[in-house]
Amino acid sequence: MIDLQTFNIIPVMPEIIMALMGMVLLIFAVSQGNKSYRIVSWYVVLTCITVGAILLRFPQGVSITFGGMFVTEPFAVFMKLLVLAGASLVLLMSITYMQREKIARFEYPILILFSTLGMMVMLSANDLISLYMGLELQSLPLYVLAAFNRDNLKSSEAGLKYFVLGALSSGLLLYGCSMVYGFAGTTNFIGLAEVFALEATPVAGVVVGLVFILVGLLFKISAVPFHMWSPDVYEGAPSSVTAFFAVVPKIAAIGLLIRVSMSAFGGIAEQWQQVLMLVAMGSMIVGSMAAIVQTNIKRLMAYSSIGHMGYALIGLTAASSAGVQGLLVYMMIYMFTTAGVFAIILLMVRKNMQVETIDDLAGLAQYKPLMALCMAVLMFSMAGIPPLAGFFGKLFVFQAAMAEGMYTLAIVGVLTSVIAAYYYLRIIKVMYFDSATEQLDNVEDSGSNFVMRASAFFAVVFITIAWPIVEAIHYAVDSLLFL
Amino acid sequence: MVDFIVNFIVSNPLFYTLVKILSIVLPLLGAVAYLTYAERKVMAAMHLRQGPMMVGPFGLLQPLADGLKLFSKETILPSKSNKVVFVVAPILTFILSLLAWAVIPFDEGMVLANINVGILYLFAISSLGVYGILMAGWASNSRYAFLGGLRSAAQMVSYEVSIGFVMVTVLLTTGSLNLSDIVLAERPFWMDMLLFPMFIIFIVSILAETNRTPFDLPEGESELCGGYNVEYSSMTFALFFLGEYANMILMSCLTVVLFMGGWLPPLGIEISWLSWVPGIIWFGFKVSTILFVFIWARATLPRYRYDQLMRLGWKVFLPFSLLWVVLVAGILVGTNTLPVL
Amino acid sequence: MIEALAFYMFATILIMSALMVITARNPVYAVLFLILAFFNAAGLFILLGAEFIAMILVIVYVGAVAVLFLFVVMMLNIGQSNVKTGLVKYMPVGALVGFTLLGELIWLYTSWDISKYAVHQRLAPILAEDSEISNTHALGEILYTNNVYLFQLSGLILLVAMIGAIVLTLRSRKGVRKQTISEQVSRERSDVIEVKHVGFGKGVQ
Repeated sequence: MIDLQTFNIIPVMPEIIMALMGMVLLIFAVSQGNKSYRIVSWYVVLTCITVGAILLRFPQGVSITFGGMFVTEPFAVFMKLLVLAGASLVLLMSITYMQREKIARFEYPILILFSTLGMMVMLSANDLISLYMGLELQSLPLYVLAAFNRDNLKSSEAGLKYFVLGALSSGLLLYGCSMVYGFAGTTNFIGLAEVFALEATPVAGVVVGLVFILVGLLFKISAVPFHMWSPDVYEGAPSSVTAFFAVVPKIAAIGLLIRVSMSAFGGIAEQWQQVLMLVAMGSMIVGSMAAIVQTNIKRLMAYSSIGHMGYALIGLTAASSAGVQGLLVYMMIYMFTTAGVFAIILLMVRKNMQVETIDDLAGLAQYKPLMALCMAVLMFSMAGIPPLAGFFGKLFVFQAAMAEGMYTLAIVGVLTSVIAAYYYLRIIKVMYFDSATEQLDNVEDSGSNFVMRASAFFAVVFITIAWPIVEAIHYAVDSLLFL
Repeated sequence: MVDFIVNFIVSNPLFYTLVKILSIVLPLLGAVAYLTYAERKVMAAMHLRQGPMMVGPFGLLQPLADGLKLFSKETILPSKSNKVVFVVAPILTFILSLLAWAVIPFDEGMVLANINVGILYLFAISSLGVYGILMAGWASNSRYAFLGGLRSAAQMVSYEVSIGFVMVTVLLTTGSLNLSDIVLAERPFWMDMLLFPMFIIFIVSILAETNRTPFDLPEGESELCGGYNVEYSSMTFALFFLGEYANMILMSCLTVVLFMGGWLPPLGIEISWLSWVPGIIWFGFKVSTILFVFIWARATLPRYRYDQLMRLGWKVFLPFSLLWVVLVAGILVGTNTLPVL
Repeated sequence: MIEALAFYMFATILIMSALMVITARNPVYAVLFLILAFFNAAGLFILLGAEFIAMILVIVYVGAVAVLFLFVVMMLNIGQSNVKTGLVKYMPVGALVGFTLLGELIWLYTSWDISKYAVHQRLAPILAEDSEISNTHALGEILYTNNVYLFQLSGLILLVAMIGAIVLTLRSRKGVRKQTISEQVSRERSDVIEVKHVGFGKGVQ
């Protein structure tokens, strides 16, 4: 007879709850129609918070289930909490925005929920197959979300472009997986780690396979040279979806990248370190240079996030415990500050029309001092000016790189930070010193206003709460590396 | 002499199989011929007419006369048609309608190929049937034929979905994909009652699958003047015709195997005076009953409109059969009566 | 003997029809050859003893996917010329990428080696060679028991795909008259017909 107790499902409970809530909400929303958009959105936020609370109460230590497909440990829990927080923040600020844009359909929060679920699966993946399934479950809703404003040409273009390139990168990833499997005889990360601990110099095919897997993952975080899609998609997609793209999937993909490279392929670190080093340098340079000439603030944020991914990858390139810790601190700060910037972008409304150029911010300080102040704080933080949060992220990753003797990487990082500071400061200059031609509207959007203030507050007070956070991250990273 | 022939046949496996195939195909062709006769007679009775009665006693030789007429006519290949596909289409339809018979068990052990995945084989072959019609519709290069072909494709794909779910439900209760095992599987009476709605869905779906009234839109003589076979004549038309009727009988056999206990006598084997009759007679009797339903439906029901057909398939049958699959599976697991392999 | 013959027959037809798929000038022919290719692939599976997969291949690909494919190709009525216009333009780039990949593949597979530690990692087959269990049963065991996690995940992915297709394409058009069957059935004579007695020279009031 069938034994329902074959697998221990307790570690998968958060994912199961998410999936069930998604289906229940879908049925509820379908029966109610689009008027249920707001309530469904709130329920999705509530689900994220509940699942986060469950994760917080999770038993310590490592549990592996489903025949080695699924793993959860403090590292996965920490990353999942970040993902859930990011998804909730983005939903909070997009509820009113979608209604303003008249594209408020109930599928929006549900797709976000399923995408978040995919990210949780990714973060708990302990097998190349479950990695791929999580990746697909994460990306598929994103393709749809990018084209969500289906009557808008640019939005449809963004969706199609993202879909075609995303499918290609998934194909490469699978191809790489097959090569690795052909060499190691297993797709399980623990098995791979065992094989590569003994095989110091694998055949060329495995290196190619590893590079293909990295390509698939680097595409998701839009690192150079796999960044071509991101400015177009960022610009075309509805702004709240762009916020989601910029904030949440990157955390999940970085988490997965850490797990794949540090635990599965930890034995052959030299092989991927070179690749990641080039990618990190390229991302930092392209991110800082190309952003200078942008006038559209969403495109600017696209290049800015490419640059940030470059800095973050420095931490992974170091391939040390300190590096991964720095990376996690960086991603956490990146998530909260980017969410804040996008909240401000969502609030840029003039004559009931969403505006997106930097010049539209001109003179903001004169008539909306609080919004301008928040934006200024966030920009300073992103540029890495002490004592704001962004400074610490950069500090940690650069320190880790120096400790491993990667001086070139650190120097390129510092130089590009200086260049990048130019365009961050330019926004502040436009807000404070240019005169307003036309004012922005006062928008009734408590969600975005809340996220904006909270994010700026976080950037300011990070210095006081840094210690416990770094301690927690230290604990999480330890759980991953000493599996 | 007889001994010699029998010995030769049995000792030569290839030849033996050939004989077995012929002993299925030839009676089948006869059955098809007399199905048309039965159809005309039954419909005539329902219309208060007499039906064919001039050729032979009670018109019994009418099907032969019809066949002779068709074969002696000229085959017309429309000049703008795609010749190869045009000719291949009816051949394909006919061959497919014969292929599926390999796995039908007529009696205990009386089956050409007793394969493990018999029901999947049947499902696969019957789902190929659409190609003959689609190809015919396209190759004819004629508006009516093309419309018929497209309708047929959409219709068969739609109803295959619910047929699939009905099969899954039955398989859940039998635990085997082998048709003989499905017949022999013992089901409690309440389970038969539970399957009754699926039986109804299945009957309706096979009407659609074989393009019979009230779902004969691909032919639709009053709107498409014959649909996909409007350009066909003589032999090629005869092949379509034979294929369609052979498919009707095949689908009836499938119904009998899935729901009506195949060759087993009704009301279980215990009643001795019923099991005295050979199984193949019971099988034939049950198949004839289903065939009568086919004809009955044709004589009494008006044709569905296309959107109604699609609505019935996708919005009524699909959700219902899906629900029923879950329900039956749940009951089987709940009562611990799931067949163990 | 017969098996070898059958293998070569299926394999030859499979390769030939696969070639025809990409070279046929008429898109309808291409799809028909694709169907033939699927069918022969199913034949090869049967020779391998994987009868379940063979049947599913025919049911799913030939019976459902290819029908819709053929349906669309026939409806679109693609001309034979406009398929080729892009070919000349993209040929050099495509050939370059193709040959580079081919070269890399040859290089990789000539230098290929399986790790000597891979043997310990390989999954043990769940069935013994002489097992009585049919491959339908074995596949079910793997899919629904061992890999139930992946199975459920793929279900979710398909659900998302369905939501996506509906979000992006479903439009509620105005002015479409829909048939509500329950209304039609529940209609009674008293709802629609009224008998009026019309007095002489007064008309209907």
